[in-house]
Amino acid sequence: MRVVILLAVLAALVGLATGPGCSQAPAPAPLTQVVALQTSSVPEGPADPAWELAPEFVAKLLLQDLVEPRQMETTTVQVRVRALFDGTRLAFRLQWADATQSDVPGPARFCDACAVQLPARIEPTLPAPQMGEPGRPVEITYWNAGWQAAADGRGDSIRDLYPNAAIDHYPFQAPALEKGSPAQEAMALRYSPARAVGNEVAGPHTQPVQDLLAEGPGTLWPAPASLSAGRGVHSAEGWAVVLVRRLPHGLSPDLGTQVAFAVWEGGHEEVGARKMRTGWIPLVFQQAP
Amino acid sequence: MARVFNWQIGRSMSYWYPESRPKRQFAAVFDINKCIACQTCTLACKTTWTSGKGQEYMLWNNVESKPYGFYPLAWDMKLLAMLGPQHWNGKEYAGRTLFEAAPAGQRVLGWRPEDIDYAYPNVGEDDCAGGVQQGAAMQVPHAAWFFYLARICNHCTYPACLASCPRGSIYKRPEDGIVLVDQKRCRGYRECVKGCPYKKVFYNPVCGTSEKCIGCYPKIEQHLQPQCFVNCIGKIRLAGFISTPDQADPQNPIDYLVHVRKVALPLFPQFGLEPNVYYIPPVHTPVPFLQQMFGPQVAEAIKTYLAAPKDPDLAGLLSLFGCTERLLVRWKREGETITGRDPSGSEVVQIPLREPVVIREAVDPKFQVARVNCP
Repeated sequence: MRVVILLAVLAALVGLATGPGCSQAPAPAPLTQVVALQTSSVPEGPADPAWELAPEFVAKLLLQDLVEPRQMETTTVQVRVRALFDGTRLAFRLQWADATQSDVPGPARFCDACAVQLPARIEPTLPAPQMGEPGRPVEITYWNAGWQAAADGRGDSIRDLYPNAAIDHYPFQAPALEKGSPAQEAMALRYSPARAVGNEVAGPHTQPVQDLLAEGPGTLWPAPASLSAGRGVHSAEGWAVVLVRRLPHGLSPDLGTQVAFAVWEGGHEEVGARKMRTGWIPLVFQQAP
Repeated sequence: MARVFNWQIGRSMSYWYPESRPKRQFAAVFDINKCIACQTCTLACKTTWTSGKGQEYMLWNNVESKPYGFYPLAWDMKLLAMLGPQHWNGKEYAGRTLFEAAPAGQRVLGWRPEDIDYAYPNVGEDDCAGGVQQGAAMQVPHAAWFFYLARICNHCTYPACLASCPRGSIYKRPEDGIVLVDQKRCRGYRECVKGCPYKKVFYNPVCGTSEKCIGCYPKIEQHLQPQCFVNCIGKIRLAGFISTPDQADPQNPIDYLVHVRKVALPLFPQFGLEPNVYYIPPVHTPVPFLQQMFGPQVAEAIKTYLAAPKDPDLAGLLSLFGCTERLLVRWKREGETITGRDPSGSEVVQIPLREPVVIREAVDPKFQVARVNCP
């Protein structure tokens, strides 16, 4: 009998320990701010285990429905963000669900993309979250899946985009021109107007990211130098993209600032103003525990 | 949206920007009746401007057979179906323009072609509409018909590409109204590709920016007509500048054809862009089809054109088409002589109203033998 009672007591204790009302540690409250942890160096790839040190912030995405052309349909719902900094560089890892890898551009084919936005100046009040406002710029670090494919080695020709394309002839590849000669390269450049005038969008892309400034919708312009780096990897879960940029001018870790994010899903023809985005989110800096 | 006046539809309309007309507006007249679809214009443009990487599929100038030819596929039919009924009250358009029909959140009603839509630039070539029944005889308009439609950018007064661009990367040159994509500012959003109803803005997938017909502006600046004009074998094209109807100058060739004689008409004026390439409609095509394409004044334009042989002014001006590479902005007929002047005022061409004709008698009177044309 004693044995039976003892077993019953033990069973009850086990039940208390494993039952629904028991003692699982309460789930941590969702973060209300992006916390950038200080590390000795920031990782440049999304799979680096260092990212697990940083707490994850889940940013709900909003429609860009303030300026035409507007995003009228909710696509990407949220982006998961982790942040690390090493004293001079600030790195974000953005992850979002996207079943399709859209990295081949075409007349009606758009590339997946994402961006991180920070105020260009540390001021008591913030510029408008929608890409800043006149006289109050924001800094934007933009990553593009098509540029990533190019940086990963995809060639710079129409056949790299359309493998079955039939090409007759390019004037700048005439046999009379020595391939790779200054004259030949200068001629080839003239046949690519956007490249010839130095439009960074036009490539060729060795980096998947571009640093930009803006003072409101439609005002985006390239930063004097594009210093940021990045890398994106697509998997069954979607995209994981790392964006590494310098700390904004005048920002010290004890100050903190605000940050905003945007995601474009190429498969839904999202480009430019057609995007999912956040408002400003507090960004604080902490020492790693 | 601002309110602007569009004389082609006889009323004011909504547009993204306020009315701001250039000092001069590049314009052209194409006489469709003379086009043979040899595509020399297409190749002249292609070899001059779009031989680069990413431009392989682009035809800034193309010639398509109507009604079954399109580049890109169904560019006009698709949009006409989207726009819905397009009624005219006389010369005033009673329907909605593409700006007025823009869906919520959009600037312009438009659509974006897929890759495959550009893959058949000569689809429908020479395909006839209608059929020939037993006992049919040749008549005008023809029972079975097609015609060739040569197309370039219309350098519209109210460009939908320009209105569509959220970055302001497309601009209209104040000196000549030519519409250009700023290749340094463009980020390849392709809103212009979607917005242009004529589908004359093209995305370069290698460079990542959009590109379009530049009206051969380096030639215009030198008072020369564009490449597709001067290489036209059929001499169907005349380039120049157009005034608004209230400023029409009969000595300006384009004004005379468009405003004075009203023999050249805009392409799909109901879209609301005030396009600046004007077409002398084909005389053999049923008027209802042409009305949808060129507006309500088609029948009158055809009547005027058919009377040209007995109309020395109209016949004389039509003779100036394709007679010089110089840009003609003034013309004059004195008796049997037509003269044309360039923007500097210099006379650059003088032609007879009727080419001298020498008739060789079929029989040699001296030798009393019939002449033959082969050795």
